[in-house]
Amino acid sequence: MSDDVKWTKTISDVNDGILANLEKPHPSYYVAWTLAIIFVGIGIASWAYQVTYGMGAAGLNSPVYWGVYITDFVFWVGIGHAGTLISAILFLFRAKWRNTVARGAEAMTVFAVITAGLFPLIHVGRLWFAAYWMGPLPNTNNLWVNFRSPLEWDVFAISTYLTISLLFWYMGLVPDLASIRDRVKGFKRLVYGLLSFGWRGTARQWHHYEAGYGFLAALATPLVLSVHSIVSWDFAMSIQPGWHTTIFPPYFVAGAILSGCAMVYTLLVPIRTMFRFEGFIKEEHLEACIKLTLLTSTLVFYAYAIEFVVAWYSGNPYEWAIFVKRAVGPYAFYFWVMVFCNCIFPLVWWSKKMRNNIAVSMVVAILINVGMWFERYNIIVSSLVEDFIPGSWGHYEPSLIEIGLTFGSFGWFFFWFLIFCKFFPIVSMSELKLIMPKPLSTKKNS
Amino acid sequence: MRSNDSDLRRLDSASEAFLGGDQPFESPAKEFVPGPYFMGVEEVMPELGDDEDSDEASVSKEKSKLSVDRRDFMRLFSAGAMLASASACVRRPVEWAVPYVDQPMDQTIGVPVYYATTVDGTGVMVKTREGRPVFVEGSGSHPLSQGSASQLAMSELQALYHPDRRKAPQIRYGTNRVSDVSWDDVYVRLGERLGTAKKIGILAKHTSGNSRKFYKKFLKEFGQSEDQLYLYDSNALRVNAAAAHRLAFGIDGYARTNFRLAELLVGIGSDFLDVGTSKVFESKNFSRNMSYKFQRKGEFVQFESRTTMTGGKSTTRHPISTGDELAVTLLLVEALLENSAAKGTAAEKENIRKVLSSARTVMDEARSRLGFGETVFKELAKNLLTKKSVVMVGESSANSANGTLLQLAGIMANLLAGSYEDKTLDLDRAWMVASSGDNDMARFLRDAKSMDLLIVVDVNPAFTLPASTGIRETLQNIPSIVSVQSMPCETDEYAEFVLNGHNILEKWGDEEPVAGVYSLVQPTVRPFTDSMQAEDILMWASAHAGKPLGYQDYRSYLMDQWKELHTASELKVDFKTFFDAHLRKGWFSRIGQRDLPELADVSEKFNPAIPKKGLKFVAYLDPRLYDGVGADRPVLQECADAMTTVCWDTWVGLAPQKCKDLGLKYNDLVALKGPSGTIEVSVYPLPGLHADTVVVPRGNGHADGVSRVSTGVGVDPLTILEAEYDSISGIPVTSGQTVEITATGRRYRLAAQQKHNDMANRKDILKTVSLATASANDLAKKEFDLDDVPDLYPKLKEHPHYRWGMSIDLEKCNGCGACTVACDLENNVPQVGREQILLGREMHWVRVDRYFSGSVENPTVSFQPVSCQHCNHAPCEAVCPVYATTHDEEGMNNQTYNRCVGTRYCANACPYKVRRFNWFTHKWNVMGDRPIDRNPRALNPEVTVRTRGIMEKCTYCVQRIRDAKHNAAAKGRIVADGEISVACESACDTDAIVFGNLKDKNSRVAVARKNMRSYLMLGADPHHKHYGLKTLPNTSYMAKVDLHGAKDKSHDEH
Repeated sequence: MSDDVKWTKTISDVNDGILANLEKPHPSYYVAWTLAIIFVGIGIASWAYQVTYGMGAAGLNSPVYWGVYITDFVFWVGIGHAGTLISAILFLFRAKWRNTVARGAEAMTVFAVITAGLFPLIHVGRLWFAAYWMGPLPNTNNLWVNFRSPLEWDVFAISTYLTISLLFWYMGLVPDLASIRDRVKGFKRLVYGLLSFGWRGTARQWHHYEAGYGFLAALATPLVLSVHSIVSWDFAMSIQPGWHTTIFPPYFVAGAILSGCAMVYTLLVPIRTMFRFEGFIKEEHLEACIKLTLLTSTLVFYAYAIEFVVAWYSGNPYEWAIFVKRAVGPYAFYFWVMVFCNCIFPLVWWSKKMRNNIAVSMVVAILINVGMWFERYNIIVSSLVEDFIPGSWGHYEPSLIEIGLTFGSFGWFFFWFLIFCKFFPIVSMSELKLIMPKPLSTKKNS
Repeated sequence: MRSNDSDLRRLDSASEAFLGGDQPFESPAKEFVPGPYFMGVEEVMPELGDDEDSDEASVSKEKSKLSVDRRDFMRLFSAGAMLASASACVRRPVEWAVPYVDQPMDQTIGVPVYYATTVDGTGVMVKTREGRPVFVEGSGSHPLSQGSASQLAMSELQALYHPDRRKAPQIRYGTNRVSDVSWDDVYVRLGERLGTAKKIGILAKHTSGNSRKFYKKFLKEFGQSEDQLYLYDSNALRVNAAAAHRLAFGIDGYARTNFRLAELLVGIGSDFLDVGTSKVFESKNFSRNMSYKFQRKGEFVQFESRTTMTGGKSTTRHPISTGDELAVTLLLVEALLENSAAKGTAAEKENIRKVLSSARTVMDEARSRLGFGETVFKELAKNLLTKKSVVMVGESSANSANGTLLQLAGIMANLLAGSYEDKTLDLDRAWMVASSGDNDMARFLRDAKSMDLLIVVDVNPAFTLPASTGIRETLQNIPSIVSVQSMPCETDEYAEFVLNGHNILEKWGDEEPVAGVYSLVQPTVRPFTDSMQAEDILMWASAHAGKPLGYQDYRSYLMDQWKELHTASELKVDFKTFFDAHLRKGWFSRIGQRDLPELADVSEKFNPAIPKKGLKFVAYLDPRLYDGVGADRPVLQECADAMTTVCWDTWVGLAPQKCKDLGLKYNDLVALKGPSGTIEVSVYPLPGLHADTVVVPRGNGHADGVSRVSTGVGVDPLTILEAEYDSISGIPVTSGQTVEITATGRRYRLAAQQKHNDMANRKDILKTVSLATASANDLAKKEFDLDDVPDLYPKLKEHPHYRWGMSIDLEKCNGCGACTVACDLENNVPQVGREQILLGREMHWVRVDRYFSGSVENPTVSFQPVSCQHCNHAPCEAVCPVYATTHDEEGMNNQTYNRCVGTRYCANACPYKVRRFNWFTHKWNVMGDRPIDRNPRALNPEVTVRTRGIMEKCTYCVQRIRDAKHNAAAKGRIVADGEISVACESACDTDAIVFGNLKDKNSRVAVARKNMRSYLMLGADPHHKHYGLKTLPNTSYMAKVDLHGAKDKSHDEH
């Protein structure tokens, strides 16, 4: 894939080009950062209101006990999937194009998982207890956590995933941090020096690095599949119609990768412009990312369709009723937003011209993000609103507080991501050099 | 009931202790008698309670002649406690449980004391803890209650502890100045008024007891006519039936339906399961005798224009136009008369013929409107004559212009059908709840114009009479009004003396609801505020006016009256033993016999009004709020209306087809233009209503500021009625006047607790079997083990003796919602208010789902109470990450509030959606921000109060189970069947709910569970090895029985 890349730069340009982000950034960076801070402020204010007055600040009710918060949680965990997929699985498959986008994707993963981790706390009624009662801490009451609960599995799945992603991401950063250390002076040198753990770039260090990196990649690979499978069990393990189905794990994993890849694209395109990385992140790489997105979009399309078949074939009237209502009931709007954004719009990418049209692709990628959010909203809300007993059917609309916290989560994510963009190499320089041509010998190396 | 002998023994001395409390003018008590008073956290930590004490301090000092009264004692007590606790108070107030210093003989902390009294006409047991009433439940021995209490009676607790109760008596000086005064001031001034008044009237809440006699004695003392006592009751049936019986037979009281003997009931506009004469009694006996019971189900044919709970329980229902009840009854009378088997003497038949000929126009006119022909009447007449039967006519909830004539027609129908002869209508034990003539409001309004002084006791004519009767102007023009009310009301506005009367739980009295059944009213608590009983006020005021009535207080008067009963009873015990014994029991009976007099010729009085044309308006008594007395009780406001499930609002019910014609939708705000006014209400399309009928419930629309609970809730439909009175009983007409409906183009959402009304074709939620199938199964003694389900999971750990279970018989349930009210009160369930209900955040642990089926014009209504099913394979238990909900070995699904972090997964997982989440901390503070915040004193001390962020649900009243288990363990036995009565079960008028031990094979619940009619909700069809969700609940349901249904094949096979 990357064999066809028409490089205009060589590896001698890498350090200067990539580390340009440490210099004074483009003004748009400040705009973006300010916006992120404002959104974080909205989120904090919303949360403060909810903590002060109670969960009733959200639009939740009986029977819709889960709503936007769990949607946000699943959405951000989903976003966090592409990072590990790109960095670990594609690393093991030796897909060269990943080298340009892996770092950004990994950072996105780490921050997305951190963002996702907030939502269970926002969501619970008594976060001051939930924060530690959900962990298996020894206590004098001899109370232990319930290992039968999918929510408990979540605690372990997400924390494991966060740990591995963080280690994997940081390990890849070490050689690049050393490069920065060698370029800066004074206090910065001290900081980057500490962060780079005394990396010297010796053959012995590279040897250990390669082994360790491969090992972590192998460790992270099953997590890509497990984390979202477990998140899907939050739903599938209950007997709620619309949730209680075996298709959920693969369906959720495919959806997560779809949303993650779309998010990688959504992030990389502006960064590429903002920090002038056009010479390093080539169109070919973006197109490869789109192809992966298109693949998962197709998987998701299939899952949507087969879900209906499974519901119909089950002969379970409750299950089938939920699906019919999803498509034509009061929440049909969300369903069709989901179908159009995740399945129909990405079809334009079958055309190579469209794949290479950054503006069009960007719009589609953003629409996929929207669609994937609504997918989770649709799964959660439309199943809960009208389940078994018609007498207890209800209605749900998110409150301003929930919307505020959702926007807040975006602010929070971008806040960290933008900080990362400013102080760390957004593209892995060491890995980039592996696939870029050497100076003066462009033909031999590709 | 649950009170044991030792409780009853205590009760005796406890009631003596009240002597000190009830008589402020007695000589000072020699020593402080603590008695069964209250002691709770806000007493020793005033900052947790209301500031009532400070408001009242000045008054109580003036009043109290006791050397140390209870409040002073508590104040001293709290000072000590405060000193001790001051250092310990860090961030949260520390709650102290302070033991008695000198434990009163009749009180043990933690052991409830029960008092038998009479509330809302039925005998109840009031459970008190540490001297404070905490629950009102039916008295098991009382003939009218038989173990259940009405919603109004149960919610009396909220009235007792109501934050808006007046704290001191008030006198209005001039037009606007109202000041708090002392009771002495009241007596002096009232004494002056009594001395000078030329014409005195008393308008009191209807009573069948001795206070009626007392009021007459009082009037006589002041040289007034006894007719100047007016007893007001909004219940139209009671008044009209009494008037009709007096006219027809010249007797007091009216015949009582004996459901035990009846095989066929014909209801014509009857609503005895909604309000009736005594809803608890009638529901109970209807359900016990008319619902399916071993191969037999009583037939009940109902003709009605409204969709009532009563119609919901009928086996055949004919919608008729409002106002046609009389014509339908007369057509039935005619059909009966034509039948040769008709009973009655020739003279009576002749009288009836006369009546029919004078009402010919009404009958002919209606005949064309009815959707059914003569054959219905002929058939019905035949059945009435062959079966033991009763014709029940007329609504309690609303009065048409022909109300009393309808009762007369009913008497004729019953006479011809032989109901009196068969004793299916009982005159020996006739209803005495209303006395003819006393409730003549037309007469009252005439007489009141010349009154100098009107004494109003616990009625609110300014609200409960239509404004067009001129009641407000009449009250305005009376020089002096004494308003004695246990709760502030609109009538207080017109009163010179605004006096705070006792709540029913604080006063003495008696009732004679049924001839020969005397039911005592006794205080269950020392008065909370500085209130007085109306009779005592009159007694003291007349003493000041120089005409003492000769009694120290009303209690001594009452005992004097009971001395007569004692003498008449010929029991060989002294009076004290007699009285104390009946105080414990709550009632006394001495049944006489009465022969049926011959029907008089009433044709002269029989001048029926012809029903009006067009849309006919019915302003009916809301079964929950009654005529508005319940409106200030949050628990009643929040209890879902049975048919609409709307709460905290007034709605207008319209037939769905009418809505379509008018282009109106659910929640559309319409203007209802009546003869004398217009109101704006939202539309509720109510299936089953006759297309010409427009119904609006009464009870809401109180004046702002009367009570903070009722302020701004709903509208009052009486304001659009024109003044029209029943020609015989003289009560205002609330049904049958015409209205116009115009859309306003605006919408106003009604807070309905159920948003979806049909069953969506689901078969394993609410089941019906045919009578034939049920009978065949019962005859063959077929049983089925619902718990015999193939299971991969290891067996649950089981308790050797106990597995708690519940059985709910849908055949019996009539949807009244008493279970919800009882549960709310027992389990400290917060009321959340309209806004939260609109969001779907009601907190009821037990809800009543209502489903319509069949045609929209004449649907079948089914009710299903749903609370936690206590599944043995509970979907909620597996998903809680912190083990906050767990299964215990007695089969119960327990919720550990302290451990709950509020992930709400359990509630999602619950297929029955019975879990309730605390979206906010509902304040338990008297003077909270919101009027629905409840008085912490009214809390049940045995049930934890939940804070926000916590999931809660039905616990099977675990506190009652533990209580019974401890009692049993102390005696070295296991809990017997019936020893535990959970709140919903005890409240259920119809005995639909049965709770008990499933391990005891002979317990009622175990027997019910084995019955072929029993099924598990969402348990598919276990008879054919389909197990549905397989949650294996401990709560099972019993299918409704369809009288007309064909034998069900699938049920035959097993």
